[in-house]
Amino acid sequence: MTEMLGRRPALTLLLLIAVLAVIPFVVTNPYYLHVLTIFLLFAIFASGWNLTLGILGLKTLGHHAFFALGAYGSAMLSHYAGVSPWATIWVGAGIAALAGLLIGVPILRIRSMPHVAIVTLAFAEIIRLVLANLKDWTRGELGFWGIDAMPALNLGGTVVEFGTGKPFGSYLLALAFFAGVHALLLVVLRGRIGLTLVAMRDSELAAESLAVDLTRWKLGVFAFSAAIVGLSGALYAHYIQILTPTSTVGPEMLVTLLAMIIVGGVGRFTGPILGALLLTVVGEALREFGDYRMLLYGGIVMLFVLGAPRGLAGWLALIGRRRAA
Amino acid sequence: MFELSGIDVRYGAAQVLWDLSLTVAPGEVVAVMGPNGSGKSTVLKVAMGLKRPSGGRVMFDGADLTQAPATARVGAGMSIVLERRRLFPRMSVRENIEIGGFVLPRAEIRRQMDWVLSLFPELRPHMDATAGRLSGGQQQMAAIARGLMAKPRLLLMDEPLLGLSPALQQRVFALMREINDRGVAILFNEQNAKLSFGLSHRGYLLESGRVVLTGSGTQMLDHPEIRRVYLGEAAA
Amino acid sequence: MTGAILIETLLNGLITGAIYALIGSGIALIYGTTRVLNFAHGEAMMLAAYAALILSTTAGLPLWLAALGAILLVMAGGVVMQRAVIAPILAREDWSFRIIAATIGLSIFLQSAAQLIWGEGFSALPYFFDGVLVLGPVRMPWQRIAILIVALVALGLSALLLYRTRFGQMIRATAQDAEAAEAFGIPAARVHTMVFALSAGLAAVGAIMLAPLLSVNPWMGVPYILKAFAVVILGGLGSFGGAILAGFLLGIIESFGVTLTSSEWRDVISFGLLIAVIWVRPYGLFSTREG
Repeated sequence: MTEMLGRRPALTLLLLIAVLAVIPFVVTNPYYLHVLTIFLLFAIFASGWNLTLGILGLKTLGHHAFFALGAYGSAMLSHYAGVSPWATIWVGAGIAALAGLLIGVPILRIRSMPHVAIVTLAFAEIIRLVLANLKDWTRGELGFWGIDAMPALNLGGTVVEFGTGKPFGSYLLALAFFAGVHALLLVVLRGRIGLTLVAMRDSELAAESLAVDLTRWKLGVFAFSAAIVGLSGALYAHYIQILTPTSTVGPEMLVTLLAMIIVGGVGRFTGPILGALLLTVVGEALREFGDYRMLLYGGIVMLFVLGAPRGLAGWLALIGRRRAA
Repeated sequence: MFELSGIDVRYGAAQVLWDLSLTVAPGEVVAVMGPNGSGKSTVLKVAMGLKRPSGGRVMFDGADLTQAPATARVGAGMSIVLERRRLFPRMSVRENIEIGGFVLPRAEIRRQMDWVLSLFPELRPHMDATAGRLSGGQQQMAAIARGLMAKPRLLLMDEPLLGLSPALQQRVFALMREINDRGVAILFNEQNAKLSFGLSHRGYLLESGRVVLTGSGTQMLDHPEIRRVYLGEAAA
Repeated sequence: MTGAILIETLLNGLITGAIYALIGSGIALIYGTTRVLNFAHGEAMMLAAYAALILSTTAGLPLWLAALGAILLVMAGGVVMQRAVIAPILAREDWSFRIIAATIGLSIFLQSAAQLIWGEGFSALPYFFDGVLVLGPVRMPWQRIAILIVALVALGLSALLLYRTRFGQMIRATAQDAEAAEAFGIPAARVHTMVFALSAGLAAVGAIMLAPLLSVNPWMGVPYILKAFAVVILGGLGSFGGAILAGFLLGIIESFGVTLTSSEWRDVISFGLLIAVIWVRPYGLFSTREG
């Protein structure tokens, strides 16, 4: 369990959030705040997916489908039905969770890793094609633009605005959700369900004897994981305010997130956060040099798998242990 | 002829063999006996080169084979009958046996096959059957036949009696004796003390990865510790 | 549906299916012998097409020689990839997901590299065969017919190799029990490498036959890789024959499916079918168990 959470995960998380909360009052460059906002949203995405990869030990490759479902679900509902995004983001997360249940049933039954990987990838491809083909509703690859930003909030006389071009409010909103989601993840991971599932993950035999109950729990955790990713998608939609099927559920999204989790450390609580931070910042830094981002992400995934399979979080844990010893 | 000396083996953090030494002389039948988890299967894997030891040496006919892959050991005159048969399930019996002689030149495979089949008349009607569909006893015969194809001078047999009926165990026993009579040394492992040492010239008792007792077959059978613990006889 | 359209649809399905069978059987061969899912298999196609293009236009080789050269180059590339990326990971514990991740990384890496080197320009290989086959009311360009014939020949030769040669025996033995194969002197590690070369070669054949009809571009393997995976699952993971059958079957289903809906829904049909099959027959259409 400590391998997954690291030592004192709550304290680490709290410190991290404290540092991140100070940033917008110190850093005023809107571009930097934008990059960090993207980091926070992708960190939520990556941590949600990591729940499936790490705690369930299910190597799924289709979580970007849940991201797109959350994003398009929330964006379309607010756009066509005129519902406030403050409500639709939860609907987006709910749609993702339902889709998670739908795809979760067959893959939890098979468990064979190649089947799981391929079926989830195929599922993501179906979602991409459906979004691209339903042009009357989504405008296909032309992009679903003009998505409402999250309506402004009046916090004790200060009006906080969100969306593109409103970096301060957007950053704080992303941070609030980042904090909430990770706190919730910590509660789940340290709770009875989390402890049992992690213990079971490592001994399939024991898992067999508890099969019935366990499958239901696993399905629940899978849907929860999908919901978190869907929520990150919904927040992304109302921040960026334009979506295309390829940018939300294309291969680049898959590789970007996979790179974040692998660089950070698969199955470790802080892994996806570290990975998201590093790759978002490096990816942006490289932007001015042209189209090297995917070359870098692809290469970095290979290098980490070959050379540092435990990722940054595993590496940091190792240093910590050495120092303690 | 064959010698393991000071062998240590680890699986991850767990050490399963500790400073193990063992010899087989030409023409000898040697048994490695031990309870479940004592490491007796690992001994045979190390001998064949299917598991690398973390320390110690493997010698065969004066050559150091510690780092040699299984391929080289087959060429040198060793061969193995794997635990639980391990036939190639979707190949015919003929093909399975042929593969046993993989390292031989083409022409010799045929000749060796005739020689091997003379020991196993019961396999002849099943040569074109899919190996996975044979009965357990037939599979064991095919597995032993496969092990003999490479013209071994030392045959390793990993739990050759496991899961066989008493009648089939007798048949395998008889075969082992016949193979040995034709000049092939045998190193095998077995859980049952009576079966192990009744057949062998010499034996080793393994407990928790260490050799705790060694001697001739009859010495082993008569040893009070073995009689008490492994043969269930009341202490005299 | 008139007879002519029926035959044409069937023929189109067989032609698409031939490509799926070529790509899918290669993936099945690799999975069957090494339990490795190679997500970079589509890039073997892409590289083969570029190699053929460069050898024929820039180097000025005759088309058939350029094609042959490209196939051999890609097979050598398969060897390098297996040695440099796959084998080191296989030697570690918990490798199966790492291989998936590493080959996905490699796939994207190769696409981006191709884009940087050759740009996004789209170019096509010249036709190998001119003219149109006219059979009563059915008209079909020879180049398309050739895909089917070449694929059948390549698959037939591969089957002969697998079931009638000593090398094939090595592959099948390694696939069924690698440790046992090794115990009898079969060099399993070398077999793994050779299988990568063989399946890269099959992908190269498919890509080169397609290249005159499609544009050669950095992403040309992408639409085929996931389809090939679907074929491999439908055929029973790791089964060479199953993948070929499933490849042709999927090609035909798509071909008729498209006449009923429209081409943009083609892949939705295939992947929907895949998920449906996984619900009912998790280990493939032709088998009830894994293996």
